[in-house]
Amino acid sequence: MIVATKKPIEEILVALAPYESVLILGCGTCVTVCNVGGEREVSLLHSALRVAIANSLMQQKRFHEYTVKRQCDREFLEALKGKSEEVDAILSLACGVGVQVLADYFSDIPCIPAVNTVFMGSSSTFGIWDERCAGCGECRLYETAGICPVTRCNKGILNGPCGGAKNGRCEANKEMDCAWLLIYERLLKLDQLDRMRKYSPPRNYGNLKRPKRVIIT
Amino acid sequence: MLERGIKKTQILDRALIPPCQDACPLHQDIREYVDLIAQGRIMEALKVIRDRNPFPSICAYVCPHKCEDKCRRGRVDKPIAIRALKRFAVEFGGDRMVRKEVEERYSEKVAVIGSGPAGLSCAYYLRILGYPVTIFEAYSEPGGMLRVGIPEFRLPKKMLDFEIERLVQMGIEIRTNTPVTSLDLLLEKGYKAIFITVGAHQGRRLGIEGEDAEGVMDGISFLREINLGLNPKIKDRVIVVGGGGVAMDCALAAVRLGAKKVDIVCLEKREEMPAGKEEIEFCEEEGVKINPSFGVKRVIKEGGRVVGLELVRCVSVFDEKGKFNPKFDESEKTVIYGDMVIFAVGQMPKVPEEFNVHVERGGTIKVDPVTLRTNREGVFAGGDAVTGPASVVEALATGKKAAKRIDDYLRYRYPLEETEERPKIEPEIRQKTVEMIRKIERIQPPLKSVEERIERFEPFELVYDWESAVREAKRCLRCGTGAEIFYKEKCASCLTCVRVCPYGVPVVDEKGEIEIPPSDCLACGICVSECPAKAILLRKPADRRQVDLEISALAGASKKDGSLHIVGFACHYGLFGEGSLSYLFRTPKEGIYIVPVLCIGKLETEHILKAFELKAQGVFIAGCGEGRCARENTDAFAIRKAERAKKILERLGLERERISVFTASEMDIEKKLEMFIERIASIILERTLKEEK
Ligand SMILES: Cc1cc2nc3c(=O)[nH]c(=O)nc-3n(C[C@H](O)[C@H](O)[C@H](O)COP(=O)(O)OP(=O)(O)OC[C@H]3O[C@@H](n4cnc5c(N)ncnc54)[C@H](O)[C@@H]3O)c2cc1C
Ligand code: SF4
Ligand code: SF4
Ligand code: SF4
Repeated sequence: MIVATKKPIEEILVALAPYESVLILGCGTCVTVCNVGGEREVSLLHSALRVAIANSLMQQKRFHEYTVKRQCDREFLEALKGKSEEVDAILSLACGVGVQVLADYFSDIPCIPAVNTVFMGSSSTFGIWDERCAGCGECRLYETAGICPVTRCNKGILNGPCGGAKNGRCEANKEMDCAWLLIYERLLKLDQLDRMRKYSPPRNYGNLKRPKRVIIT
Repeated sequence: MLERGIKKTQILDRALIPPCQDACPLHQDIREYVDLIAQGRIMEALKVIRDRNPFPSICAYVCPHKCEDKCRRGRVDKPIAIRALKRFAVEFGGDRMVRKEVEERYSEKVAVIGSGPAGLSCAYYLRILGYPVTIFEAYSEPGGMLRVGIPEFRLPKKMLDFEIERLVQMGIEIRTNTPVTSLDLLLEKGYKAIFITVGAHQGRRLGIEGEDAEGVMDGISFLREINLGLNPKIKDRVIVVGGGGVAMDCALAAVRLGAKKVDIVCLEKREEMPAGKEEIEFCEEEGVKINPSFGVKRVIKEGGRVVGLELVRCVSVFDEKGKFNPKFDESEKTVIYGDMVIFAVGQMPKVPEEFNVHVERGGTIKVDPVTLRTNREGVFAGGDAVTGPASVVEALATGKKAAKRIDDYLRYRYPLEETEERPKIEPEIRQKTVEMIRKIERIQPPLKSVEERIERFEPFELVYDWESAVREAKRCLRCGTGAEIFYKEKCASCLTCVRVCPYGVPVVDEKGEIEIPPSDCLACGICVSECPAKAILLRKPADRRQVDLEISALAGASKKDGSLHIVGFACHYGLFGEGSLSYLFRTPKEGIYIVPVLCIGKLETEHILKAFELKAQGVFIAGCGEGRCARENTDAFAIRKAERAKKILERLGLERERISVFTASEMDIEKKLEMFIERIASIILERTLKEEK
């Protein structure tokens, strides 16, 4: 799932400065799950902006709140039709994908992101999110016991470990487990240690044309 | 227009019927009044009780409380002391002051035969509906078994007098010393409907050898004589036969009259005895000896006087089908000596033949269960006369039902039984949840000492003091008022609720959807205030208190001159119920505005920000503290929400110290508040100085 973080409110205040009537638009999918862009965050941001106005950090504005199921598909934006005329700008709490679809749909209204989209990941404890996939396009999880070295190894090396781990922690980031040690341990458990011997050729960054597109046939 | 309008959910009531309410013949909203007591809103609690119970002060003394047997708290530790809490509400809520206004709307006169609880209740509701009602009572004083059966130490007669006085004030006519012998006469006199509630006053006998001996009497007559002030002669050694409530009352009365030794003999095993557990304990405390599992073979006489009973071992009382069918072991016989024997082995109704109503075996009147009509046109019946000996609350319930059915009859309406349209909550709680619920000891109302008790015929159970009542009320699990994923379409399956619930209630069901099983939820509200999709609502509207509206009401309070303006969210239970936060409302301070919340676990970050939007200079949150709060983790989540708000303030260039959470258990709330006020004052001062520069 896509994970995002809240933008500093100062940044949002600056971006909103020119506009008078603003729609604060939440997204009911990934960013709701990661607690940054759902209906609650919409009303929290709204409240925060009102506090800013009350403390004269910002001039008077009109705000509207709404949350759609998903901003990354235009069909869900239909719900906003006829309502958008009133607004000078849309402050979107969706990920970067959502903001772009929104901008494309409302081509004449400025769309401002309120969050920074950071990674694809998951949460195992309430309130903590970890990156798990970089969308590299060449998944090797089968070789690496279901643990991704591209995202979870600080150095992203494909033929680890580097040898610098201490007490199971990465030498570059002592907060982090060494991904390759985890891979080793899990392969051991699966009785597949021989996979450690296999050499993985470097990723071919030449293949990574951007933007990527997938066509399902 | 993009904003959501005033939500209909402000008033939407999705609460489910809890088992306590379901078990109560009057379907009283127990959960609600118990919670109101916990909140310190005693008069409102009484109002809720009065809503469905015509004589709460009587039930408060004598109700056998089926509700408590079904209370789900009993699965965790012990049930809520519901009857004792009702007594508290009646006494502290000023029940004596309540007066019902009635207006006569119809001219059809209704006659009620018998002034027991069923008759009184029927008259009460008929009067409220607007009918002229006359009660006919054979005895010299009204009240039925409440007057002549239940002894003074269980129900003070002045409570009964008081209720009856209220009925008279409502315009109900009560004719005592007027046994009705013929219904035709009443119909001739112009009564359009008749309700027969003659009760069950005929004491049963066993039909054994020697029963006619001098010194043998039945329990009902014994208690009636006492209640009518006839002072029956008591002997030194009294044997009471029977294991029910009447037998216990006889034994306790005998003790009070001065009997030196009192024995109870009953067929049932100790744990099978039909009397309430408490009553049996009272007897034992007062030295009454209980001889369970014995049947009486014969009464032993000497010169026509009773000297004892021959007993035979009873091996089982009920057969496989659960029917009363006692089996004896004739080889085990014994003799018990006594010079007075009281048979309290059941009562039967005695319905005059001239009534010409259909009477069944056992003497009870046959009625249609829905309409309560007898075989005679316009004649209805209810109470012990129909069911056989039952209880006061059941009599009240049939009386109330009879009033409605008589109204249907007189208004030519089709009689429809009202059914609760709300679903019931399951009686079970998952074991996992049971283990997570903190055990809290049940508080019993205080009792007088045994020495004091046996001295005179006075009630010996005392009323709770305020603190005990509130603490006992807080034990209620508030079954059926929990959280519900109301906006299913909004749920993003984020698992926040699953992870934050202190009781592990929300689950992922087999379809992969998030579900909050209503029977496990304790309505703490934490998931509601944490759900990022705002998909969850508490089932009871009052729990969704519109805190934002309440804060808006304070908007006018903020002054332009920059003088102190602090908003404090404080737990309602702590403020007005248990009182650990009562300082906050007892000592109003200029510029401090208290917004009560029904537990700080329900507070949302938006509420805190809203206060700042309305120009508060500081916000504090005051809770009762872990251990005092009836739920878990509410403090921790309030701190979390405060932390979130603090971060936002910081980003906006405001000091994070403007927000503070304090709990009553930590330290003196007064000191905490003073320190907070000082802190805010210095923040404001620093700001002004900076701005001046
Ligand atoms: C000793 C004892 C203790 C009890 N303790 C409890 C308790 O703790 N809790 C509880 O819930 N229940 C208790 N009960 C049961 C409860 O009192 C009865 O179930 C209840 O009173 C039945 O109400 P009722 O209106 O049907 O009849 P009753 O209360 O019996 O009233 C019937 C009335 O009809 C009158 N009457 C009869 N015939 C005529 C006539 N022909 N004309 C005019 N009037 C007539 C009678 O004089 C009587 O006043 C107790 C009963 C007894 C005997
Ligand atoms: S815990 Fe409260 S709501 Fe639940 S059954 Fe007991 S009294 Fe009723
Ligand atoms: S917290 Fe809300 S959005 Fe998340 S799973 Fe529960 S109900 Fe759904
Ligand atoms: S968090 Fe509280 S309200 Fe929500 S499901 Fe758990 S007990 Fe119920």
